[in-house]
Amino acid sequence: MLFESYFTAEIGFNLLESSMASNYLKRAWAKTIPAGDVNQDSLYEQAADTYGSSLDRLARAYELDAEVRRDLVQEIHFQLWRSFAHFDHRCSLRTWVYRVAHNVATGHMIRQRRIRDRLVSIESIEAMPGNSDHGELAATQAEALDRLSMLIRRLKPLDRQIIVSYLEGMDASSIGEFTGLSPANIGMKVHRIKNILRRWFVEGGLHAK
Amino acid sequence: MPSDFPMKDPQEIWQNQPTEPLKMSASDLRRKALVRQSRARLEALSTIIIGIILCVVFAWSFARAHEMLARMGWGLLSLCGIYAAYHAYKWIWPQSLPEEAPISTCLEFYRRELERRRDYLHRWWRSGLPLFLLLGMVMAAVGTGARNAPPHPLLNALPFFLILAIWAVAFLLMRKKLGRENLQQEIEELRAFERERR
Repeated sequence: MLFESYFTAEIGFNLLESSMASNYLKRAWAKTIPAGDVNQDSLYEQAADTYGSSLDRLARAYELDAEVRRDLVQEIHFQLWRSFAHFDHRCSLRTWVYRVAHNVATGHMIRQRRIRDRLVSIESIEAMPGNSDHGELAATQAEALDRLSMLIRRLKPLDRQIIVSYLEGMDASSIGEFTGLSPANIGMKVHRIKNILRRWFVEGGLHAK
Repeated sequence: MPSDFPMKDPQEIWQNQPTEPLKMSASDLRRKALVRQSRARLEALSTIIIGIILCVVFAWSFARAHEMLARMGWGLLSLCGIYAAYHAYKWIWPQSLPEEAPISTCLEFYRRELERRRDYLHRWWRSGLPLFLLLGMVMAAVGTGARNAPPHPLLNALPFFLILAIWAVAFLLMRKKLGRENLQQEIEELRAFERERR
């Protein structure tokens, strides 16, 4: 969908480019577009170099479809670049990058109407009985990754943000910084995540074989 | 063996998955920004033009009407056209992409998105209903004033009432669908988290 609209816009842009009034319009319209100074570009480059892989993994937590996911990753990068025009160094680059990326991905989820009853909280998953619903144990790394991704995509946005950040190796205070949840709340949720992961990957999982 | 489980494993599994890191060039980013802006402005322009056309059409009817009530109705509808154009200019024209994304925490951003979604239907109901009632009034008034008016001028407004009924059913169905999602409950939960943070 995103690709289609982008493609349509691309055609529109090319038509516009070829029209006689294009130069005037482009000059007039460009006035409202963030100019993108050197600092903005260098911050973006730094962020893309450092967190490129993390952002790709983050997109996987929100979008299963590879084609749509590619659009989502592009959108995250674009919004990230845009956001650096407002970066005031009041938080770390990492916090900023994750905040923007998760917000863009959450917006994507809402637009795709994925906020449905079927999304559950960490608490609900923890309360589910045993491993009976997981079937066979994960034998390979790829299988374990599939299972992990499936678990993540069942979660509501905030819980999803927390589990992804935990898996990325962030501590509770860093997660609290960009999610806006209290450290106590994050601590509790991380504890639950660990319990769930133990249940999914040990008692019924990877190492049991 | 659960006791042998190194808790880092899921983290390692997650972090070691194959990725394709993306990096866009500065020129690509600027071009994308320009395309977005152009598209948004074209959308706004079309809405503004439709608003102006509606305004002119209703103003023309206003000029031709002789009855006071009909004139008032057409005049108000003409103003609605102007308002629609102004609304498009004010809200669509700048088309700023979500500015709050970098500033808000994920919690605030998500809550606001849910509220926007919840409020969408309310706004639709509030702004659409008066317009429909206005249209009905105008149709009834025009019917009353016409030379060959039927004995029951309200019959003129029958199609209007039919549309209104369909519209009300659609609204109720959409509201039911949204209700299933328990938006309000989730918003309240998020607000509680925010209060806890403060």
